[in-house]
Amino acid sequence: MSKTYFDETHCAIGHPKSTFMQWMLTVDHKRIGLMYAAVMFTFFFVAVFTALLMRFELFAPGQQFIDGPTFNQAFTLHGVIMIFLFIIPGIPAIFGNIVMPLMIGAKDVSFPRLNWATFWLYILGCCVALASLFIGEGVADTGWTFYAPYSLNTDTNVIMALTAAFILGFASILTGLNFLVTIHRLRAPGMTFFKMPLFVWGIYATAWIQLLATPVIGITLILAVMEKYFGIGIFDPSKGGDPVLFQHLFWIYSHPAVYLMILPAFGIMSEIIPTFSRKEIFGYRTIALSSASIAGIGYLVWGHHLYTSGMSDVAKSVFSFLTFFVAIPTGVKFYDWIATMYQGKIVLSTPMIWGLGTIITFAIGGITGITITMIGVDIHLQDTYYSVAHFHYAILGGVVFLMFAGMHYWFPLITGKMYKETHAKAAFYIQFVGFNLLWFPMFIAGWYGMPRRYFDYLPEFQIYHQVSFYGALIFVSGLIYMFWTFYRGWTKGEPSGTNPWNATTLEWHMPSSPPPLENHSKVPYVDFNPYEYHHGEPVVKFNYETMQRID
Amino acid sequence: MSNKLEGFSTSASTFNADLDFAFWLHIWLSVGLFLSVVVPMIYFAWKYNANKVKNEDIGKVTHNTTLEILWTLIPVAIMMLFFYYGNTTMKMFRTMPAEAQSLVINVEGSKWKWKYTYPANASGHVHEVGGVYKKPVMNDDGSIKEHGTMGISALYVPKDTNIILKMTAPLSDVLHSYYIPAFRTKQDVVPGRETTLWFNANRVGSYDVECAEYCGADHAYMYSKVVVMEKADYEAWYNSNKGDTPKGDFPKDGKSLYASNGCASCHSIDSDTILVGPGLKGIGAKYDSEYLANALTNPDKDVPEGFYPGIMPTFKFSDEDLKNIVKYMETGK
Repeated sequence: MSKTYFDETHCAIGHPKSTFMQWMLTVDHKRIGLMYAAVMFTFFFVAVFTALLMRFELFAPGQQFIDGPTFNQAFTLHGVIMIFLFIIPGIPAIFGNIVMPLMIGAKDVSFPRLNWATFWLYILGCCVALASLFIGEGVADTGWTFYAPYSLNTDTNVIMALTAAFILGFASILTGLNFLVTIHRLRAPGMTFFKMPLFVWGIYATAWIQLLATPVIGITLILAVMEKYFGIGIFDPSKGGDPVLFQHLFWIYSHPAVYLMILPAFGIMSEIIPTFSRKEIFGYRTIALSSASIAGIGYLVWGHHLYTSGMSDVAKSVFSFLTFFVAIPTGVKFYDWIATMYQGKIVLSTPMIWGLGTIITFAIGGITGITITMIGVDIHLQDTYYSVAHFHYAILGGVVFLMFAGMHYWFPLITGKMYKETHAKAAFYIQFVGFNLLWFPMFIAGWYGMPRRYFDYLPEFQIYHQVSFYGALIFVSGLIYMFWTFYRGWTKGEPSGTNPWNATTLEWHMPSSPPPLENHSKVPYVDFNPYEYHHGEPVVKFNYETMQRID
Repeated sequence: MSNKLEGFSTSASTFNADLDFAFWLHIWLSVGLFLSVVVPMIYFAWKYNANKVKNEDIGKVTHNTTLEILWTLIPVAIMMLFFYYGNTTMKMFRTMPAEAQSLVINVEGSKWKWKYTYPANASGHVHEVGGVYKKPVMNDDGSIKEHGTMGISALYVPKDTNIILKMTAPLSDVLHSYYIPAFRTKQDVVPGRETTLWFNANRVGSYDVECAEYCGADHAYMYSKVVVMEKADYEAWYNSNKGDTPKGDFPKDGKSLYASNGCASCHSIDSDTILVGPGLKGIGAKYDSEYLANALTNPDKDVPEGFYPGIMPTFKFSDEDLKNIVKYMETGK
């Protein structure tokens, strides 16, 4: 049997003999992606169980399991892990690393050593974040948004959380830089921008946001640290500073960051829909360019987080107006995906079911985002459970669900094995039901005036919290079931072969499954579109040894 | 038990009808948009299911200019409609009525209570109302023994009158947000800035106020109430010079004042334990009444050793209240 990337690797330093050191020092984009996945999902489960703890406390009004300050630390830990350690780096670091170079026919990213260093910078950031749990007064209790002046006044370990976010931001910038150069310089000959798979477009748009927007959060976090240590008086009103300025700076990054999360996720959807419709994608160019325009408009809409913060009415109107124009390209993508299914041959395999399920949940997440784009309505709904539900429908029901879709889709590529589809589908349905039970009641509670970040609430809201609680239990069991299915698939699954889904893009044209160390045997010449099907079969076929077309 | 706050569905303010219309218009059009995506999706997934479609029958459509223009322009039109209603409702909330025709009340939000200062009445008396929410008392099994209550703190306003709230927080405090769900309005309260909020309530009743901007340990207990009264009732209270609040029979003894002003969250009354400030056990033996009264009304002037100025907020009490609370601190009664 030929050697795969699990058997051999290139290392950043020297040629270590031990398998462990080979993993620690590896520069192979696939191994780095896998290690990101291992670390991120560990943190993901920590944050999930933190959230579950909060749901336990919220099951009944009054204080049962944890007190207010502990609850505040819990939602901060949940938010910081989910946002900075998991979802912002998530899809780019895992699938951008593993799949993107394969999709463009490259042997690795442009700067493999930098990629290795970036991974360890990310680990350093994680360690600092973890250390803040145990050092000083414990983990920050500010919420993941670190709003001044609360973050400046609290005794908890805000400095370490800010430092961690700063380091993770650097890792994000370097990842973006690496991917941008890779996509510009390492595409296989013949692959113009409009012949790239749409996931690569998603990663490309994201990489620009990582590169251009992340420095703003870096500056903001440094200013907050300087404010806290030296009292420079930029955000602290008792020194003449302006706390609302912090919110502006924070969201100038953090709003583009949500597009940074969703664009590669949309990319995954754009891979899955044509593959399982056995049909070329509808409106390739509009999907590609809508990613770019979302990334562009995304910079100009941060103010919609500040409708009630204290800002001029003119500014509110402008931000609201611009925000509606994010909805348009997003909607166009959805219609393009549905149109792709028209007259296709739809195979409802697990990745496709995840994709279609996400169309439902993300549509709800997107539309409820439009609710709170309407300024007057947001004045009522700002900082209520409505925003919380919207955000989780969009990010969990959008980004994370599509990440799961991608995991099911590329699992055979990465491991060379196939999971049991019956189990995987069952896990999807459990999660889908649990998810909606968990989050939908929050829209209603939010409309009726349930504020977020409350560890205790007025008895009127009990029913919504209880339904959410049962939804959370169902959702988490589905989640564990899914990972168990993956684990069984990897250890005991049948070999999948190189192209189990009949897909067209280059990552499925590998000489071995899983792929070998340096990917394709030869650099392919790309004179075809990414999703060419004829009568339900991929048009382009390769001899995997020579990478010459044989169709 | 009703599943919503008191007064939520009663059109308690002049805002409700317009805001609810904008919201439900948006929801119903959005349901349409949602169905325009999800219905074809489910239909196609059924109609073109792999076991029904022969390979030769797979279509080749990748463009349809008419459709693409339609599904861009129709959503644009709907979005502009949403923008219009979002913007007009914002104007409704944010266009302040003339102060001359309004009742202007100063609001101070601080950790974790709201305080209302009224304009001086005809005889020069200034009503000040405010205090902390009394937290629920729990049984050992986690059920509620006694629900939390608002005590004497409420914003008392006359019906059918424009009320302008000029809101701020002490410089050393943090962000809060004054949120009245029944009136559909909120505005952040920012230390060192004055933000404004207005409403015109047209139903007599008592409506919950919540803090909507995260502010720390007792964020979830930073409640208040807006009590809307008939104009005559309001005037009678406003023009009286008694410290009593117009609704309910609220005790004004030292113990209640100690609780409702939030003293207990920083100062233990019956021990030496330092919570934030010093415990007060035996304080009456150490200091005279005048020192204690000054410590409340001008806390930064003479701070005990080991503590720092600037931590404790300044309190204002009527002479009678001040006497009662000092007595409570001295004697524990």
